[in-house]
Amino acid sequence: MEEHDKILSVRGLDIAFRTTAGSVHAIRGIDFDLYRGETVAIVGESGSGKSVTMKAAMGILASNASVKGGTILFSYTHADGSPETVDILKKDKKWIRRHINGKRMAMIFQDPMTSLDPTMTIGRQVMEGMIWHFKVTKEEAYRRSLKLLQEVGIVDAEKRMKNYPHQLSGGMRQRVVIAIALSCNPDLLICDEPTTALDVTIQAMILELIRRIQRERGISVIYITHDLGVVAKVADYIDVMYAGRIVEKGTANEIFYDPRHPYTWGLLSAMPDLDTEDERLYTIPGSPPNLLYEKPGDAFAPRNPYALKIDDRLGPPMFRITDTHYAATWLLDRRAPKVDMPPELRARIARMKKEAGLIAGNE
Amino acid sequence: MPATSDIPLLKVEGLRQYFPIDRKYTVKAVEGVSFCIYPGETYGLVGESGSGKSTIGRSVIRLYTPTAGKIVFGGQDISGKLTKSQKNLLRTQMQMIFQDPMASLNPRRKVGDIVAEGLDIHHMCSGAGERRGRVEKLLEKVGLAPEHAERYPHQFSGGQRQRVGIARALIMNPKLIIADECISALDVSIQAQVVNLMRDIQRDTGTAYLFIAHDLSMVKYISDRIGVLHHGYLLETGTKDEIFEHPVHPYTKSLLSAIPSPNPIVEKKRTALSYDYAASGIDYAKGTDHLVGGTHHIRCTDKEFGEWA
Repeated sequence: MEEHDKILSVRGLDIAFRTTAGSVHAIRGIDFDLYRGETVAIVGESGSGKSVTMKAAMGILASNASVKGGTILFSYTHADGSPETVDILKKDKKWIRRHINGKRMAMIFQDPMTSLDPTMTIGRQVMEGMIWHFKVTKEEAYRRSLKLLQEVGIVDAEKRMKNYPHQLSGGMRQRVVIAIALSCNPDLLICDEPTTALDVTIQAMILELIRRIQRERGISVIYITHDLGVVAKVADYIDVMYAGRIVEKGTANEIFYDPRHPYTWGLLSAMPDLDTEDERLYTIPGSPPNLLYEKPGDAFAPRNPYALKIDDRLGPPMFRITDTHYAATWLLDRRAPKVDMPPELRARIARMKKEAGLIAGNE
Repeated sequence: MPATSDIPLLKVEGLRQYFPIDRKYTVKAVEGVSFCIYPGETYGLVGESGSGKSTIGRSVIRLYTPTAGKIVFGGQDISGKLTKSQKNLLRTQMQMIFQDPMASLNPRRKVGDIVAEGLDIHHMCSGAGERRGRVEKLLEKVGLAPEHAERYPHQFSGGQRQRVGIARALIMNPKLIIADECISALDVSIQAQVVNLMRDIQRDTGTAYLFIAHDLSMVKYISDRIGVLHHGYLLETGTKDEIFEHPVHPYTKSLLSAIPSPNPIVEKKRTALSYDYAASGIDYAKGTDHLVGGTHHIRCTDKEFGEWA
């Protein structure tokens, strides 16, 4: 990994929210790394803490959040080429706003209608960031914006600069949001459910657009999503989150073809693919835990049909499967009974491997 | 679940639904859509946002008055002005499950009262005991506990709330349930639970579903037959195998190619087919119904039919 440089490194992140009902321990120790040019997808249900993690990295946590520990190291290079690494959690909001947000780290939100300002023209919104961060002239900003809009596939860019968001379709709006995110040439792009509000046909186009731009500019991308189809299309690495913890991490191929954590099994089999003919879908029983009430042991144990006795007392550590593949489940301990994934999922993975040209059962 | 009868439960013929905005401009949401639903089957409607799929659901249950066309439900034409007995039939035999359970349940009423509202309105219970008995039986059926009847919607999780929405639809023993994006607001693991529940209910009660969704893999999983909508036109309809194995219309093909599959090696190599209605030279308005085979119909001109089929 020498040729890659680490751009984001999160260690032991721990965040709680003060609410009227008590303290909600939303993030309970997260570690992950991101290298330049790579794509990580963070997968999990709502409330698993995936958005909170990214908001912490952007320094835009809600005011009732308190960071109890951990570091988020972000590396970038100054305009003169000198490298710099900062701990986002140690910096104040104003500094982050000035030096990081929009400039080196940009975010694409779920709903393009709510992330664009309805009272400003598209052109002004694309130009705003570069004028503020780089103090370029209006003419220069206009020229660059035009080029950006063309780059994200907007035809008639000159005319569109004068349009307001409501005059554009959902897919076009999301393209504008991407153009704004790219306007300051960031090193890291965070996409928070970028296609959930869009139709499948447009979703495919937007994902292909982000991928193309990523390749051309060599930027790193973090996807936050619950859609495993999207993940399969874009991700190099996947982190599966549950109740504020990463329960399984690995390369996309490892997670999809060789999942080890029962929660990952559940997630994969709960989504039917086009060949699913089973009478019933395999489901994870129950619903995600309320983090207001912390309990000892593994947070997933109450929903886990494979839970062991120890899960009620002690949360599992990360077990190493390969150099890139880790999972937090006691089932991987050498003293644990041998448990296999549900047969439906096993059959499906075999089918997927065949389709992908890998020979089934040969690893 | 195969169709149990040859007589359709619901027959929609040439349904048009227009919304006049002002004197000059009318939104033509649905343009001449025809399809049937047989007792006990699931008909899936798919299409992008703005294609008119929700409008069809709402016209069928008569939340809108259709501009033109015929809707025959249980042998009765329900597209015109409704008589009292027709209204009664419609409000008891057809029910709807909405997308967002938080928005569709009254936050100020207890779940038991929400579920029993239909019984109260139609005076279907002789006493409080019978009412409670039926509510509790139903809550149990959808996987909730009888004591949940005393709680308010905000005390439930998203999946549980959608179960309440399903219980409310089921209490009248409907023959047809219109499920309008009823799982898209739920988490993945909860979606599977609700879909399983809907299939169990169909097996036990023989109710038919009009399943409206944009998630194609879920639609394929739950539906017997599928209709593909675009710009208010029903472009292609047939059994799920006919649609998914042998799509004919270019729009259907592009829609199917856009479904991401959870298979990273395959998915990374694939690019979706693009489809641009304006540039394709296809005019839906000129198309007529063509039979491909079996129950598989597409809407196109004779010339297009010759090229595609």
